[in-house]
Amino acid sequence: MRGVRATHIDHIVISSNDSAATAKLFAENLGIDIKRTMSRPGTRAHLEFAKLQEVVLEFAGPGEVKPYDEVKARLWGIVFAVDDIDAAVAHLRGLGHNVTDPSVAVQPGAKIATVKDGTSGVPFAMIQYNAIPTDEMKREA
Amino acid sequence: MKAKKIDHIGIVVNDLNEGMKTFADNFGFAADTSKGGENARLGIKNAFMPVGESDLEFIQPMTEEGPVATFAKDRGEGMFMLSIAVDDVAAAVEHLRALGYRAGDANNGVAFVSMRSTHGVNLQLIQRA
Repeated sequence: MRGVRATHIDHIVISSNDSAATAKLFAENLGIDIKRTMSRPGTRAHLEFAKLQEVVLEFAGPGEVKPYDEVKARLWGIVFAVDDIDAAVAHLRGLGHNVTDPSVAVQPGAKIATVKDGTSGVPFAMIQYNAIPTDEMKREA
Repeated sequence: MKAKKIDHIGIVVNDLNEGMKTFADNFGFAADTSKGGENARLGIKNAFMPVGESDLEFIQPMTEEGPVATFAKDRGEGMFMLSIAVDDVAAAVEHLRALGYRAGDANNGVAFVSMRSTHGVNLQLIQRA
């Protein structure tokens, strides 16, 4: 296998101490439409999503924001879409890299794995859509 | 102003060839040799790897000063910049300045927006021909 067979950049994560404020700044002033807002189950992180053609901008921050904080954001990481996440993980592990097991992503039917090294300092993950069969999703629901 | 797409993501690396090799060997990405090179004005050299409709830009500082060198010194390797494609970069700069943003003049179809105006995100606007 040559590489992880990434099809495209699926999303770019922008971390902020007030993700709603940063998403609003990008939406109102740069002409980027926020498509979805959610709290991540289990962590209460506040997430907002915008899509620019095939790439999603994910604004991620804490669920509770201190109103007196100066808003600070930074580019945090990249998630690449792959067709076969199990094969991609096996490929990277075969090269000696530390990669997490694929786990259920917040995106319906998707699985995600995080690459822990060999990325030139870029937090890096891979996602496969349609990774969970429909009947398995119904059981989990 | 309407953002069109993510044009590229800038990644600062200590050594351009090593960074490119890392992403080629580990992830199978291939360089687009029609782009990149040395930019004396910015004190960098760069190269691009397309992934879908966007690119990864690998940037190595060539001088001790400037935003790329400062980033490398302060944070090491990592994600440096988000580049958003727009139809008219000069109009986008004018629009943002009217909103109180600090933004540099467009030069060769590219303009940089001050991190003070973006909650700290290093943002580039780019107009492709």
